[in-house]
Amino acid sequence: MRLEHYNALMARMSRRRMLQGATALGALAALPTTARMAAAEAHGNLRAEILKIPGVGMGSPTDAHWQQVGELCLGATKANVAEGEFAGVELTFMGLNNQNLHNFLFRGFLAPWERYTGAKINWIDLAQADYNARLQQSIATGTVDFDILEMGAPFEGDTAGKGLLDEMPDWVAAQIDEGDLVGYLQPPVGTWDGKKYRVTIDGDCHTFAYRKDYFGEGGIGGAEVPKTWQEVNAVSKALVGQTDPLTGLPAHGYLDPLKGWGGFGFYFIANRATAYVKHPEDPAWLFDPDTMKPRVNNPGWVQAIQDVMDLVATPGAYPSDQINADPGTTAFSQFLAGTGSMLMWWGDVGSSARTSDTSVVGDVVGFGINPGSDRRYNSAAGAWEETANEAPLMAYIGWGVYVTSRVSGDEKKRKAAWSAAAHLGGKDLSLWTAAYPSGFQPYRNSHFQYDEWEAAGYDRDFVEDYLGSNADSYNHPNAAIEPRIPGIFQYYSVAEDELAKGFAGQYASAQETADAIAAAWERITDEIGRDSQIALYKASLGM
Amino acid sequence: MSSAEQLHVVTSDEISPARIRLGRLMIWASAALLALVALAQVAQSTGRAEFGFTTWRPTLYAYCLWATALCWAQVVIRGERGKRTLFVLPAALFVVSLTVFPLLFGLVIAFSSWNLSNPAGRSFNGAANLVQMWNDPFYWNALGNMVWYVLAIVAEYAIAFSLALLLNAQIRARKFFRVAFLLPLMLSPVAVSWMIGKSMLEARFGPISRLARWLGVDNPAFFETAWMAKTTIMVMDAWTFIPFMMIMLLAGLQAIPKELTEAAKVDGARGWKAFWEVTFPLMLPVSVTAILIRIIFKLKLADVVINVTSGGPGGATDTVTSFIFREYRERSNVGYGTMLAMVYLVLIVIFMTVLMKWAARYARPRT
Repeated sequence: MRLEHYNALMARMSRRRMLQGATALGALAALPTTARMAAAEAHGNLRAEILKIPGVGMGSPTDAHWQQVGELCLGATKANVAEGEFAGVELTFMGLNNQNLHNFLFRGFLAPWERYTGAKINWIDLAQADYNARLQQSIATGTVDFDILEMGAPFEGDTAGKGLLDEMPDWVAAQIDEGDLVGYLQPPVGTWDGKKYRVTIDGDCHTFAYRKDYFGEGGIGGAEVPKTWQEVNAVSKALVGQTDPLTGLPAHGYLDPLKGWGGFGFYFIANRATAYVKHPEDPAWLFDPDTMKPRVNNPGWVQAIQDVMDLVATPGAYPSDQINADPGTTAFSQFLAGTGSMLMWWGDVGSSARTSDTSVVGDVVGFGINPGSDRRYNSAAGAWEETANEAPLMAYIGWGVYVTSRVSGDEKKRKAAWSAAAHLGGKDLSLWTAAYPSGFQPYRNSHFQYDEWEAAGYDRDFVEDYLGSNADSYNHPNAAIEPRIPGIFQYYSVAEDELAKGFAGQYASAQETADAIAAAWERITDEIGRDSQIALYKASLGM
Repeated sequence: MSSAEQLHVVTSDEISPARIRLGRLMIWASAALLALVALAQVAQSTGRAEFGFTTWRPTLYAYCLWATALCWAQVVIRGERGKRTLFVLPAALFVVSLTVFPLLFGLVIAFSSWNLSNPAGRSFNGAANLVQMWNDPFYWNALGNMVWYVLAIVAEYAIAFSLALLLNAQIRARKFFRVAFLLPLMLSPVAVSWMIGKSMLEARFGPISRLARWLGVDNPAFFETAWMAKTTIMVMDAWTFIPFMMIMLLAGLQAIPKELTEAAKVDGARGWKAFWEVTFPLMLPVSVTAILIRIIFKLKLADVVINVTSGGPGGATDTVTSFIFREYRERSNVGYGTMLAMVYLVLIVIFMTVLMKWAARYARPRT
């Protein structure tokens, strides 16, 4: 769970629940380790037990709690690995240290695993900003110095595509119960050329956040919450000149980020575009898989860019200086501060709305999935279809744990690396990471059993509202999943530059802007190697 | 040996031919070892032979050995005179290692197609990067912006000179103002970007925006239009670096002999005339130095732009360095990014050489 989510959920805790948690923790702590494990497993109540560590409302978990959880969840490891089996094995794990989460948790979770198996893990901790460069340089200079890797799925092209990863053994797939993963995280995500490489530990998607006080009977935005991008634009234009019911300042509609964000800003124009261009019968929506010809200048994408340009050209549709608003600004400086009424973002915006000191919209925020469209563009037929379409964007796909091919030649080391990865991606342990600050979002169907959350002390209405939009997006049959090809963020970054020029009026039209992006993408494809990109794109799509 | 050189000789060197041979042997043997190891490593890296090297450290160690032998041999061959060489030679070798070699490697990369995501790695692509640069509107746009940014130094200079004159005068709390005016220079440009660019100038909540609204500006936005954004970046950068010029000019002002200004006074030069005919000409060498150093700083402008506007809106505030940063870091385009940096380096060297020649000719104090 992202730290912000946890804070939000904790803010909804009742004192009684907190005391229940505290009592349970006290009882648990009083028991010796083996007794605790035996008790938990013997009663088949492991999931409820780990959710009480440290107990909702008991403050942020510490290393001692991570180790407790790691120890309680060792059952699956013990079924596949004998005690002391990996004695003498040393592994290197490269991951992040964002917000003192990620690797910090992994250390705690894996400490009991190390004690049981006899293996030792060395750690490479990286800040998010250094991660891409470190990974790319290791790959480019042939200096991969890690055996286990925490990595986002978009980089599978850079690693699996180059033979740097080790194929997942079948026993790992069984240990982590991969059938429990939400729909979009099922293969082909995590696979290359039909081979599995990824132990998923996170999920990602963009959801629609809106201001409930703008919509409904007598609302200035209309009776209904917009369900399509056509409606979003119509409402955004109609709100010009109106007054925000909460702040008394000018009302605004949808908040498009018009400034780049190191490549991540491209996800936001893609949110609009997927509704037009992600056809249910075609997994591809950014490139033609056979030629790598960009689709970013097809009529669907051009319509998405035109929609933004229409609002740019409507005085008052956006807050002033929107041309300099990056996604971070739209979410945290605008939406949460009471400016604007509609936003696309990852999960944290809803929870921050209730906990952040600068947020004024806590009680008036609602969630939904990415708006759809009245019509969709069929790339294969080269024509618009007058059929409604929805396509939530799984922006960034989520983190996974991978094992590198450094261990492939040493069966003992290989098994040790996969055992560690499987421990981190275990079904029960993942429930804990979904519920407590970990840096990860829910990503398994079993994470959406609201009864478990309620029994652990969470407010059911809020959890259902907040998690429901995630679950609906994850399991949408037409979810848009980005290509896991090498250099995908290079494409996004250059597109941001061209879009910025387009939004600043330096291109004559949306089509010209889109053509400039397409030309730049063609250049990148040629730089990276068209044939290999085609092969890797097809592999990533499972074609 | 001249008598001047003999003055510094403290011991008489009588170096035997055998010792000279030993010295030469040291140099040539270590050089041969270096060449051998380097060739072996090149042969391995190009796949022609296999020696079991895992890193390039053997070549580095051989280079260090050769450098040490070269220095040592100076004393062995030339005795006391060789010791004098040792005052400079290690430093020269160090500079060569850290600037010339990387520059040469940089040139190799600049003429390569090297996108870190390319599974085939680096490949020589001749002048293709230059052609791409020639056709790259983003690079030319950034270069055009740099012209404007550099021109802004004229205004910065005028302000800095005024402040320096003020602080040189007998005003109250002069010491306090000297420190106060220097404060912006002590701030990191990244801090300036966030505190001023992203917070104080924020369109809705920023205190400066509020002040502008209170003064009657409807929708104050400091980065919305191309020229407004460019100007705001210039002002933020100027605010940080004017104190630097000011302190140099102040030092220059204080170095002007009192007799000169007093003599001018006696001759009837006052106010503007005294400044224009006496102070300004005397300050020309200092001014030129301050401006040249400021231009070098300005040509590297990137941090404020990257943090505040990312080069926007639509490239209006982009600098060459911020563009190279995006090309290199976000797009892993090492070959092209290096070529852009190399071309920029050449442009800067030419520009600064011409400027310094010009300054040397025209900036002598008028007599």
